[in-house]
Amino acid sequence: MDRGGDVKERYSRQTLFAPIGERGQLKIEKKHVLLLGAGALGAANAEALTRAGVGKLTIVDRDYVELSNLQRQQMYTERDVEERLPKAEAAKRHLREINHEIEVNAVIMDATAQNLEQQLGDVDLILDATDNFETRMIINDLSQKLHIPWIYGACVGSVGMSLTILPGQTPCLHCLLKTIPIQGMTCDTGGIISPAVTMVAAHQTAEALKILTEDWGAVRPALVTFDLWRNQYQSVKLTKAKKKDCLSCGEQRSYPFLARENATKTAVLCGRDTVQVRPPTPVKLQLEKLAKNLIESGYSVTFNPFLLTCEKNGERIVIFEDGRALIHGTKDMIQAKVAYNSILG
Amino acid sequence: MIKVLLFAQLRDELGKETISIEANGWSVAELKGKMKAEYQLGGLETVMTAVNEEFADDDTILSDGDTVAFIPPVSGG
Repeated sequence: MDRGGDVKERYSRQTLFAPIGERGQLKIEKKHVLLLGAGALGAANAEALTRAGVGKLTIVDRDYVELSNLQRQQMYTERDVEERLPKAEAAKRHLREINHEIEVNAVIMDATAQNLEQQLGDVDLILDATDNFETRMIINDLSQKLHIPWIYGACVGSVGMSLTILPGQTPCLHCLLKTIPIQGMTCDTGGIISPAVTMVAAHQTAEALKILTEDWGAVRPALVTFDLWRNQYQSVKLTKAKKKDCLSCGEQRSYPFLARENATKTAVLCGRDTVQVRPPTPVKLQLEKLAKNLIESGYSVTFNPFLLTCEKNGERIVIFEDGRALIHGTKDMIQAKVAYNSILG
Repeated sequence: MIKVLLFAQLRDELGKETISIEANGWSVAELKGKMKAEYQLGGLETVMTAVNEEFADDDTILSDGDTVAFIPPVSGG
């Protein structure tokens, strides 16, 4: 690669930082990062890595830019909203103006175990910017199977957390979570303030730079979690967390989240403008608690012991106690999954 | 006494960040059961638990002076 004076000048302040230096910068420029999700965390990480000069950035996202995104999803503009641009494409356009020297690849798709694996051929690092644990568990299994590090990041309200997973070294997400959490707060039910996003993205990007420069000893060996409003910060060490019998990273591994039967099922209901979304395994929702959260975030809600109906902006969703939902007013399965994840995470 | 630290929505449900509980010799699972029964805290099945800032599973036995943190996993992004 021809690295002229302009390139050296562009990254001069980063290479002056001793742990990176010229050697680290050359490594960053040769690496390929896959970013899954181009929402708040995705946009923040994408911009930082583009400015840092990562060689190639693949951005995977299934959604498009909406007005309610602009409060915290950096890079995106009112024009993107007017044009209803897919987030991956909008991100690519903005990133090209920030740094034309790096390669940005926009992939507009709903990530599944199968189509995501096809994107990971020469990827050095997976950055998580998704909004649901089902996809994170798929990332986690693929990371172990293909031996690619990944960085978990998530935020809601004023709370955030992050964890770096190095296959063969650290515990994996499945070691920490025996089952997929559902009914967590989401940004659509619990709200979100932008500094929570920035703080998580800062942790993720810093970890990414350590991994891209192969400074393995600097990688944070702990789960970090914080609450910017209530002034809590906690780092949880993971020395005893790795499980020998973990099905994702243990001795007898089976990568359970790569199996099709463990994926959320969606189906368009015949003759109705409705999509059914069903979680991979039945769950038992606390409908009363869910109703309370949804009312607080502006939905009109009715419920009985069996099911809950919520409506906002003409969108009507019926949720059953076992986690199954009917998304009315659409035949689009991906839009239905987006709506489902925005409520149940 | 065991000091229990609550994060995110658990803190909001209880209305305070910390409580002290007589739980010497209990397992983490037993402490969760007590928290659920006494304070109606929901979702404890899926929270991550740290004992003295070290990740701990449900079988971990608690001793006087321990600090237990219940951290709900965060999903948004």
